[in-house]
Amino acid sequence: MIQLEHLSKEYNGIRAVNDITAGIPGGEIFGLLGPNGSGKSTTILMLVGLIEPSAGRCLVNGLDVARDPIAVKQQIGYMPEDVGFYPTLSAMENLTYFGRLYGMDTRTCAKRTSELLSLVGLEGVIKEVSGYSKGMRQRLGLAKALLNDPSVIILDEPTANLDPQGVADYRRIIRGVAHEGKTVVVSSHILEEISKVSTSIGILSGGKLVAQGSWQDLAGNLSARSASHVTIHVETQDPIPEFSHQDLISIDYERDRHGAVITARSDLRDAVATHLAQNGVRLRELSREGLSLEETFLSYYQVAG
Amino acid sequence: MAGSRLFTIAQKEFFDHVKSRKFLLIFGILLVVAIVGMIGGIAEYNKSLDQYNRHQSATSSDIQGYMAEKPSILGVFSSVATYLVFVGGVLGIAMGFDLVSKEKESKSLKILLSHPVYRDEVINGKALGGIIALGCALGVVLFIALATLLVYGIVPDGNELVLMAVFGGVSFLLIFSYFAIALFMSTAMDESGSALIYTIIIFIVLSVLVPTLANDTVMETIVGSQPELPQELIDQMQAPVNSTGSEGVFMVRNSAGSSDAWKQFNGRMQAYWEKRQTVHDTLALFSPTMNYETITSSVTYKTASSAMAVGPGSGKVVSASFSIAEKQETCVENILGKILANIVALLLFPVVFFGLAYVRFMRLDVR
Repeated sequence: MIQLEHLSKEYNGIRAVNDITAGIPGGEIFGLLGPNGSGKSTTILMLVGLIEPSAGRCLVNGLDVARDPIAVKQQIGYMPEDVGFYPTLSAMENLTYFGRLYGMDTRTCAKRTSELLSLVGLEGVIKEVSGYSKGMRQRLGLAKALLNDPSVIILDEPTANLDPQGVADYRRIIRGVAHEGKTVVVSSHILEEISKVSTSIGILSGGKLVAQGSWQDLAGNLSARSASHVTIHVETQDPIPEFSHQDLISIDYERDRHGAVITARSDLRDAVATHLAQNGVRLRELSREGLSLEETFLSYYQVAG
Repeated sequence: MAGSRLFTIAQKEFFDHVKSRKFLLIFGILLVVAIVGMIGGIAEYNKSLDQYNRHQSATSSDIQGYMAEKPSILGVFSSVATYLVFVGGVLGIAMGFDLVSKEKESKSLKILLSHPVYRDEVINGKALGGIIALGCALGVVLFIALATLLVYGIVPDGNELVLMAVFGGVSFLLIFSYFAIALFMSTAMDESGSALIYTIIIFIVLSVLVPTLANDTVMETIVGSQPELPQELIDQMQAPVNSTGSEGVFMVRNSAGSSDAWKQFNGRMQAYWEKRQTVHDTLALFSPTMNYETITSSVTYKTASSAMAVGPGSGKVVSASFSIAEKQETCVENILGKILANIVALLLFPVVFFGLAYVRFMRLDVR
């Protein structure tokens, strides 16, 4: 399991991660969500022991990452966003080298390497990694992350370069390892990806953890938040005159002003209809829709910002 | 376990080096120039040996000069050293300039450091792998050099074997110096291209610019001009007893050497060369190349074999390699004593630059 206790990181006086406290139990697939620059990668780098926190600490299975990095790294499998390997070595040679760094003996390493290459669909590929596509490297990255049979697996943007089959394979593998009781942390800015695999999520914005909980808990909050944001589509036969209201968040007019998308804190359809009628504008359509998942998460970010 | 990880990294680095095209190419060039140098050196040695034998058979007792000393087998290595000073430097740079920067570029450094390894194990392993590869390359070169000697029927004695080992050791230190400089630049720069360019700049400064400060023009500015041979002594000179090349070499006879004028001139000349040597030695401490040349010159008896020479009719001393030593110092202990400071200085270069590379790597931001 993973515990983050008041974790902070500063770069040249700027707080990239700001006082994060969270706990992720074993068997969970934790989705770390946030826009670019929200502090996801910095949090992960501290968790993996590649950078030291400015304040606070990370615990992996009760071990402090900063104080006992070797023991922690022995229990972690990590795949960075920009996964890189030794280009002049084959997949097998790369994994064998890393296996030896984990202290695996030659026989165990060879067996494990073959299993994993088969699992990620790279069995029989003997060419050097320099000839791999980005997707193949991503697959190899996943195999590397599982090499030492870790109890904690940390994946940074794992599906960025995968094709649909690769994404499906990845999801199957991740669910499988979580089922074995391992803790999986998946960082991404792609909401759909997180929503498909994770059992709980944390939302980062501006270096802060603005929301955290199980998928169900957060979905409840999302519904409540969705209810407080309304999107209205307007189509008219005549140009729409300027509209203002105290609950109005934004209004995007089409170029010829025969259409607009209104975002508001309350349902303004009556106010819009009245406004159009008063100005002699003939209405074609006035409809309301709920916020999409992305828009809802955006609202989290906006609140935090 | 820690030793095992270090060994694993060193082993990978070693095989990366010996399988890389650039290593094989430069190593091939190094082998060729070593063999060519050896063959040239052996021809020179045989010529000197013939000359020595002729001198030994001559009974003329009033001839003075250093040619009376039997030529050393180590002289054969002087031309190898001339090539090695450049090709070896290039080999060291080629092996070190992208050791860390390549990992940054390929993003494999982040992956590597996420494994249960300490950073010092990574940088030490990289250095160790490089050192072993360099050692092997140089070992092969020296082995072939020794084999070439034996093929030509030249068998070194114990002292000469010790000096050959010293030659090999300092050659290794020279290459390792440039390897350490390149390794440091590789940790300091994000791109291999930049690391290479900065390393080449340092190489040029240390192997060309600093030695330039020891040339005649700059030396004259620092220590003044060389004393001229008084007319009185020129008049006392006899006809040439030996000649090499178109200009001819004139040997000073004993009659001139015993005069007061000669003693005064000799004293002035000795003081001049001592001063010049001090400046040269001081400069040499700041250049691995100069250090190496100083050491190999001593080991291969290059300086001791020179004799004072004057240009025909000009009366000016034209030899730029006037030896302070009255007698050739063939004793291993004496030679090592003379070059100890240079060996220490040559050792300092890799130590300092590897230390800098170590510190830089330990603080490296792997974001």
